[in-house]
Amino acid sequence: MTAALTMRGVRYRYPDTTDYVLDGIDIVVQPGEWLGVVGATNAGKSTFCYAAMGLATEFFHGRLIGEIEVLGTEVRRQTVIERSTRVGMLFQNPFTQVSGARERVDDEVAFGPENHGLEPALVKARVAEALQQVGLSELRDRHPLDLSGGQLQRLALASLLAMHPELLLLDEPTSQLDPGGTKELFEALSRLHAAGVTIVMVEQKLEAVAELCDRVVALAQGRILADGTPARVFNDAAVQQQVGAPIYVRLAESVGLPSPWPTTFETAVRAFNA
Amino acid sequence: MPRGLSIYAEGNSALHRAHPFTKGTLTLVAIAIGFIAPSLAWVIAVAVILLGLLTLADVIRRFVPVALGILLPITLLLLIVQGFANPANRTVFFPLGPLSLYREGLAVALLAAARIFCLISATFLLSFTTRPADLAEAMMQRGLSPRFGYVVQSALQIIPQSLESAARIRDAQRARGLETEGSLLLRARAYLPLLLPLVLSSLVATQERAMALEVRGFGLSVHRYRRVVLPDTGVQRALRWFLVALVPLAIGARFAGWR
Amino acid sequence: MGLLNAFKLRFSTLGIVLIPVCIAIDWVGHAIATSLKLPLFLDSIGTILGGILAGPWVGGIAGFITNLISSGTVDPVAAPYSVISLLLGFAAGIGGYLGWHKHPPGWVALWLLCFLVASLGSTPFNVALYAGQSTIPYSDALLAALLKAHVPMWIAAYADEASADLLDKAVTVLVAVLIYQGLPRRFRSLFRLYEPRDDEPETTPALSRS
Repeated sequence: MTAALTMRGVRYRYPDTTDYVLDGIDIVVQPGEWLGVVGATNAGKSTFCYAAMGLATEFFHGRLIGEIEVLGTEVRRQTVIERSTRVGMLFQNPFTQVSGARERVDDEVAFGPENHGLEPALVKARVAEALQQVGLSELRDRHPLDLSGGQLQRLALASLLAMHPELLLLDEPTSQLDPGGTKELFEALSRLHAAGVTIVMVEQKLEAVAELCDRVVALAQGRILADGTPARVFNDAAVQQQVGAPIYVRLAESVGLPSPWPTTFETAVRAFNA
Repeated sequence: MPRGLSIYAEGNSALHRAHPFTKGTLTLVAIAIGFIAPSLAWVIAVAVILLGLLTLADVIRRFVPVALGILLPITLLLLIVQGFANPANRTVFFPLGPLSLYREGLAVALLAAARIFCLISATFLLSFTTRPADLAEAMMQRGLSPRFGYVVQSALQIIPQSLESAARIRDAQRARGLETEGSLLLRARAYLPLLLPLVLSSLVATQERAMALEVRGFGLSVHRYRRVVLPDTGVQRALRWFLVALVPLAIGARFAGWR
Repeated sequence: MGLLNAFKLRFSTLGIVLIPVCIAIDWVGHAIATSLKLPLFLDSIGTILGGILAGPWVGGIAGFITNLISSGTVDPVAAPYSVISLLLGFAAGIGGYLGWHKHPPGWVALWLLCFLVASLGSTPFNVALYAGQSTIPYSDALLAALLKAHVPMWIAAYADEASADLLDKAVTVLVAVLIYQGLPRRFRSLFRLYEPRDDEPETTPALSRS
């Protein structure tokens, strides 16, 4: 089975800079995995996603050393636009992801599939399905600019889902959302995960990462500090120091529970009850 | 939600239902003939036809105040300047001593004003009866790259958005003590503080917007299906050819000396 | 690299997205000038900026469409002058290609080029539409005085238009250049169409195993 994403010896720097933002990344993401990417600011998390999407090379024109294979194709052998048929990327800012050329939410979601040349009946079906997956069906005839930030982020996700991506890259998707919007977004992602979509998610909300992701990779200064299950990664001392950990870890540690400390709510409850 | 920029007036007249290219051809031909026609009589004839079409489209009540607002100041200026200073002036029409207005200049002014009236009415005829999205769609169906259709559709949204942001910035800057009234120098000093914040933020946002578009396949070269059905008939096609043929006819008539 | 190289069609997504933003800047620039009751049009700032930043086609198309949209909404008489806005964008693109926006002497050159394009280009349209007038009262007063002094009509019409454009284009170019200088360097480099970019991989990618 082809890996969803492979990086071998990857180093990357932006043009006109000397520091490599990615400084030796080796990772293989299997299809269907939900990978959480965590790290301090400027650890290279966003760049990781840009590199996987092909934006780092094609859009920013930085220097890439090593190989990146996305769904079996080397990243420089395909344009970002061509890759968009199988890979989707969600950015942080909900407002700049609106196309700006459509006046209705459902037309906005149709933008991607139409660009891909799908026929109208199929586009209509995909749009309805995508709006349902993110919970925006009742707003389908509103003007996109009438939506709140959280709704816009879900709209952006729906716009990607309508293209049926196999791999979804998310760059801090909930950073501008309120708790309700965050919850709805994560629920939509969980459904996708259950359906077999590979998800690579950069996130600061470590509790959510520990709860939802199959696997976590922690970055610091462009290198991988730790790579494994959430329980393993968040119990790594270097990670705890340079990146942080879900709050349950510190809580358990401070009441004197033995390590390894719990990283999710349920495991914490069990540990406290034991 | 920012009010859209389009002045499209909802309606169901024959003109509303006509294909955008038919109306577009009509507009261009009417303007061309208005300017080719050699004498005021012909130009007025074209104007009357256009007024008739505007009435048919039931937009005449919307048209009149807007058109007068544009036309009256220009006509006044034309009458004054041409009446006073046109090189062909010989016959005094309105004696005012050294500031007298002459018949020849006034005639030139009237002809110019009539032609501009044709320009205005032909253009508004198109704008009042055609949704910009439909016009863009018609062009894309005939081969305009969808990326350029995007440019126009996006401009139509971003302009009112930006005007609204500019108004908000003006209020915010005024609250911070920026003077926007008073001497010319004072007002001029307010220009950059009002313009710069908006411009810088919208420019820097283009980077993210471009990435977000690419990730949605923008510009992928594949066959695209029609989004909107724009009915076109043989009659309309024939009409377009007919209208276009009028232009060389008009040119010929003018060269043949028709007045 | 000849000047023609500046005109090579290179429409990246970034350039395409920039065009509507430049169109909006044209509009807002003019709206603010109007609301401050300044005696200038200032309706080409976006066009010039687009030309400097991303080349003649981006600037030219932005200017062209600004006029078209204006004529389709508020000012029908703007339509014929869209060609002038197109040429103005081209002029700014040429100036940008030659690096004029980078230092003050270049700013003057850019101003003069834009001024000439605007004034020379608009005059024929003024003659066709307004019997030579520019429809700016003060400038038309100049026209009237010149005509009365038996100055040939085309020259008088040019003087009329030029008197309106001289200051307007100076301020337009100045504002456009100031905006350009105010943009982050990393952003400006995204549009660097003419200089070689730093994207050579140090190792060649291995053949795909798909």
